[in-house]
Amino acid sequence: MERKTFWFFTVPSVAVMALLMVVPLATTVWLGFHRLLLRDLKNPTWIGLQNYTDLLTDPEFWTAFRWTMLFVAIVVPIQMVLGLAVALMLDRVVRGRSFYMAALLTPFIVTPVVGSLVYKDLFDRGGLIAWLWQVIFDDPFQITSSNVRYLIVIQAVWAVMPFAMITFFAGLQTLPGEHLEAAAIDGAGFWRNLWHVILPHLRTLVLFVGLISVMDMYRIYDQVFVWTGNRFTDAHTLQVYNVRIATAFDIGRLGKGNAMAVLTVIGILVVLIPFLYRSYKDQISERT
Amino acid sequence: MPLHVTLGVLCIWSVLPFLWTVQTSVKFTRDVLAREPVLWGYETTANAYRAFWLGDDDINMWGVFAYIAGAGLIAAVLGLVGKRMRRGWPWYCGAGVVLLVAMWRFPKIWETNDEYDFLVNSIVVTVLTMLISLSIGLVAGYGLARYSGISGAVILIVALGFRALPRSAFVLPYFFGATWIDDWLESSGVGTFDFPLIDFPFIDQLQLLDTRLVLVLALVAVNQPFTIWMFRSFFLDVPKELEEAAMMDGATRLQAFRKVIIPVMWPAIIATGLFTMLLAYNEFLFVRVLAPTEWTLPVAIVSLTGGESSRTITEAAAAAVSITLPIVIVIILFQKHLVKGLGAGAVKG
Repeated sequence: MERKTFWFFTVPSVAVMALLMVVPLATTVWLGFHRLLLRDLKNPTWIGLQNYTDLLTDPEFWTAFRWTMLFVAIVVPIQMVLGLAVALMLDRVVRGRSFYMAALLTPFIVTPVVGSLVYKDLFDRGGLIAWLWQVIFDDPFQITSSNVRYLIVIQAVWAVMPFAMITFFAGLQTLPGEHLEAAAIDGAGFWRNLWHVILPHLRTLVLFVGLISVMDMYRIYDQVFVWTGNRFTDAHTLQVYNVRIATAFDIGRLGKGNAMAVLTVIGILVVLIPFLYRSYKDQISERT
Repeated sequence: MPLHVTLGVLCIWSVLPFLWTVQTSVKFTRDVLAREPVLWGYETTANAYRAFWLGDDDINMWGVFAYIAGAGLIAAVLGLVGKRMRRGWPWYCGAGVVLLVAMWRFPKIWETNDEYDFLVNSIVVTVLTMLISLSIGLVAGYGLARYSGISGAVILIVALGFRALPRSAFVLPYFFGATWIDDWLESSGVGTFDFPLIDFPFIDQLQLLDTRLVLVLALVAVNQPFTIWMFRSFFLDVPKELEEAAMMDGATRLQAFRKVIIPVMWPAIIATGLFTMLLAYNEFLFVRVLAPTEWTLPVAIVSLTGGESSRTITEAAAAAVSITLPIVIVIILFQKHLVKGLGAGAVKG
């Protein structure tokens, strides 16, 4: 394809991305250096790095930071192992597979806030699990600031596991049958099979799912907001903290919020740049 | 056999909250808050649905149910006929028109709550986002799949980077920019200017913040990277010879694209469309910040369950069921495409 035709085809999309992604990002960086209050949006005043020093000395920022790191470190491995296990099981059953798949995919498809709400209902007054708890421990169950973190983790695993499952399942479908047969002739058991045949085959997919879920969990907002609201601020992740300081009624500090967004972006780029560099190399080598 | 048991348990774990919510939504409040949960044999009611959607307390819900079921049935029949036909699109359009008319007439027959407007907002935003996002993404994906220059690689990589960024990096500048534009519209008088010949009905003042338009723009933008990557990987599977043959016969590239390439791309368009639909329909943060009153359903349902709302537990459950039902129906209809799309996007990286 010629260069002119290429631009003819891509210009609408590139224009949208330039206007509505590049320009806003630049605005974010610019606003991060300003004092800007929600109730007085017309007068941004330049204050240099003060937003950043404010943030880095704010104990709430560090709470949110530590909790987000912990959250990513717990949820990502659990959901990937679970997703792989379920994918292996789905790969073996034939009867009822599409039924199982439909049921297992539901948490992934529904609106995230609705998923959290219905999950929360199980633990709230009149909910099934709250009632079971009452029966077993003879003590009313209540969502508190100390247990809400566990609940968020459990619900997050519930919500994102289907993505890992379906991706690994798709990968298993492309595994050549003769590899497994050869391994079977050698008398390899299930675990050796998994380690020497299946995992090497899925290697790029494991990387892909790992990267996507690290980023998705790092920037999680909807679910955590539903669980915590404005009550359990200890369990706020970086995104919830960010939106809270920027848009809280009457005290919203948009400048500080933008500085926070810049920090979050930098955090993501640390993970992302090696990967982007590799994909860029791949793209270039594909072309020559 | 142990396999089926394990999978069964996992399935129950997956759908249990939904089952619980469905049965909460059809109970009376006294049964929901009873000390011992009433698991069966309870009296069912559609009160919660009525209270959530409709303004009047003595509407017969059977009539409403019959209306919805009737419209759905006619649309389904038209769709099935269209599937059998060689040229299906007039039938599909017919099904769409039936649903549209049904939605438009509904508030004229029964008095509805604000929540009905939020449903309309949800549908308008979702459909517009899908239309714009898919059409510009489709052509861009085609260009990116067929062009071998460096700029193509750069666009793809930058888009991939954007895909990973958090929403907060975009929503705050959108909010700032929209406020800024609205101020300009107001102070310059463009927003209230009476355009000769064009008289916009229903609009007194042009603005950006708190409109469906700003939501559509924001969603189209954040969805673009995903769309072009997805379409590009599907286009790479379409052999170049297909359009080259058509161009040999004298067609221009645009004609070849329209007549030869698009027809084989329908599965890709449906798969990408499903993901775009989920993104737009499920969006929460953008709506919460950019549209303080023009809500869509996810924001409506969250604010309803907050502390200050007078809504009951059963109404919240009814809301959750009603908002989930449309996507569940669409996903069941297109499950094959969704699973294939997830697989395709992933396996190719």
